Amino acid sequence: MSTTAQGVTITKTGEQGAFGGELLTVNFGPHHPSTHGVLRLIVDLDGEQVRSVKPVIGYLHTGIEKQMEALRWQQGVVVTDRHDYLSPPINNLAYALAVEKLMGVEVPPRAQALRVIMSELTRLSSHLVWMGTSGLELGAMSMLMYCFRERDTILDMNEEISGFRMHTSYIRPGGVMADATPRFFEMLDDFTHTMPGHIDEYENLLTMNPIWRSRTIGIGRLSPEDAKVLGASGPMIRGSGIAWDLRKSMPYSGYENYDFEVAVSDDCDCYGRYLVRIKEMREAVKILRQALDRLPDGPVNVDDRKMLPPPREELETSMEAVIHHFKLFTEGYSVPPGDVYVAVESGRGENGCYVVSDGTHKPRRVHFRSASFVNLQALERMALNHMVADLIAIIGTADTVLGDVDR
Amino acid sequence: MIAETLVVERGVSAGDAWVTIEPANVKSALQSLKNDGFRLLVFLTCVDHLVDTSRTWPARYELVYELRNMETKEQLRVRAFVDGDPPRIDSVHDIFPPANWEERETYDLFGVVFNGHPDLTRILMPDDWVGHPLRRDYPVGGEVVEFSEEHETWQTPPPDA
Repeated sequence: MSTTAQGVTITKTGEQGAFGGELLTVNFGPHHPSTHGVLRLIVDLDGEQVRSVKPVIGYLHTGIEKQMEALRWQQGVVVTDRHDYLSPPINNLAYALAVEKLMGVEVPPRAQALRVIMSELTRLSSHLVWMGTSGLELGAMSMLMYCFRERDTILDMNEEISGFRMHTSYIRPGGVMADATPRFFEMLDDFTHTMPGHIDEYENLLTMNPIWRSRTIGIGRLSPEDAKVLGASGPMIRGSGIAWDLRKSMPYSGYENYDFEVAVSDDCDCYGRYLVRIKEMREAVKILRQALDRLPDGPVNVDDRKMLPPPREELETSMEAVIHHFKLFTEGYSVPPGDVYVAVESGRGENGCYVVSDGTHKPRRVHFRSASFVNLQALERMALNHMVADLIAIIGTADTVLGDVDR
Repeated sequence: MIAETLVVERGVSAGDAWVTIEPANVKSALQSLKNDGFRLLVFLTCVDHLVDTSRTWPARYELVYELRNMETKEQLRVRAFVDGDPPRIDSVHDIFPPANWEERETYDLFGVVFNGHPDLTRILMPDDWVGHPLRRDYPVGGEVVEFSEEHETWQTPPPDA
């Protein structure tokens, strides 16, 4: 026997549950609004208690890894934007660092600082989307309005620096797209002054909110041992009391020069993960402030005509520049054979890029290690024996982006 | 450290340390590395070396296991080369639980069969999909796009419209 309502199918299994009723198999999603995309779960329910959760994924699979193989090294950046669509610059950074490591080039200090600025802005905007939507799902409807207000400021800055609001493609192998404009720095300066006040505002709305607390405290427990064994990363592992942050543990792009704390919470539940993200937002503003105050002068790209096009002025006077330009845009550059793995910390955890080169102008293989894909495997461990309504809170605080899960 | 008898070759690629092992030894090698502190399987994937002439390869498919020691922050890449149709290797899901889905993904996209995996089904592609898209001989753009003008029934409005 089965009944169907919006996005939910229920089947009676005929098995006896612990409370005298039958076990129900409920199909949850893939078009359920609280799944942050198109996640489908097959849930076994005993009364209202969850007895098993089986995620079914792949609805957003776009073949990104296959596409990368058909594109030249510099064209691939555009595709990396699109797997974790809430943090494009961080995806760019993982890919750019991998290609640079394989080619043995290091970008100038100003480019590194601009990369840090973009990463932290992205982390903030990603956490803001998480907080807005999770608040909405758990009954704090106004959170969405507050969070998207600040996110819009960040998208305005993206537009100012790269011309694009979401898929910026700003960070590229060899540096960044272009130097930031004076207006961008004005906007950023403004932002670092107003944002701490806004974070206080979110905390006023949520941290002591009795509904928010009763829906998150003690829900979705993930012990530190489980978090390690299941390979969780990002706020999932830090919310379980393990201070593992790639920016501190294995620094990249000059993160070792910034003074910030790793956000950790020993609560091991949904509320702990919320506290970690709030703390992380405060730390991100601190990093932005330091990056802005100590921004070094100089070029924003490596000085290598075989890798990046010559400046426009040179094209009119130098034959060599024209040749380089022509070669780059018809054939691209080739990368020495080898393979390399680079991981960066995104808003969701370890966002890695494994690149294999066969010495030609296109990658042999690009594999994205996505945090959401690995973190989602911990869902069953967190949801077991909770009420079905708590599943919403647990999916929410796991903060998976389905584009990142399915790639 | 990993027993020298299990290592076929070792080296460093762009600063990343790696070892090659025999595919038959994958479970014992990864288990001994795990006991030595490499407790995290960062990712597991496959590379298809079909017509790659930049180097000579022992076999067509290369399984890559990236391991990390979170205390010493060391990383080690373990490679195993397999051939055959379908290529086969032992599953390591019981040593590293996150490998469960990653092996399903590798099976789905490369057609590598993991012996002893509890639920080796497609994960990203639809269940009835034919072929393994990330193999180098899988054609790009091979999927036919259907347009409604090619189907007479789709253009005919239902009788009560």
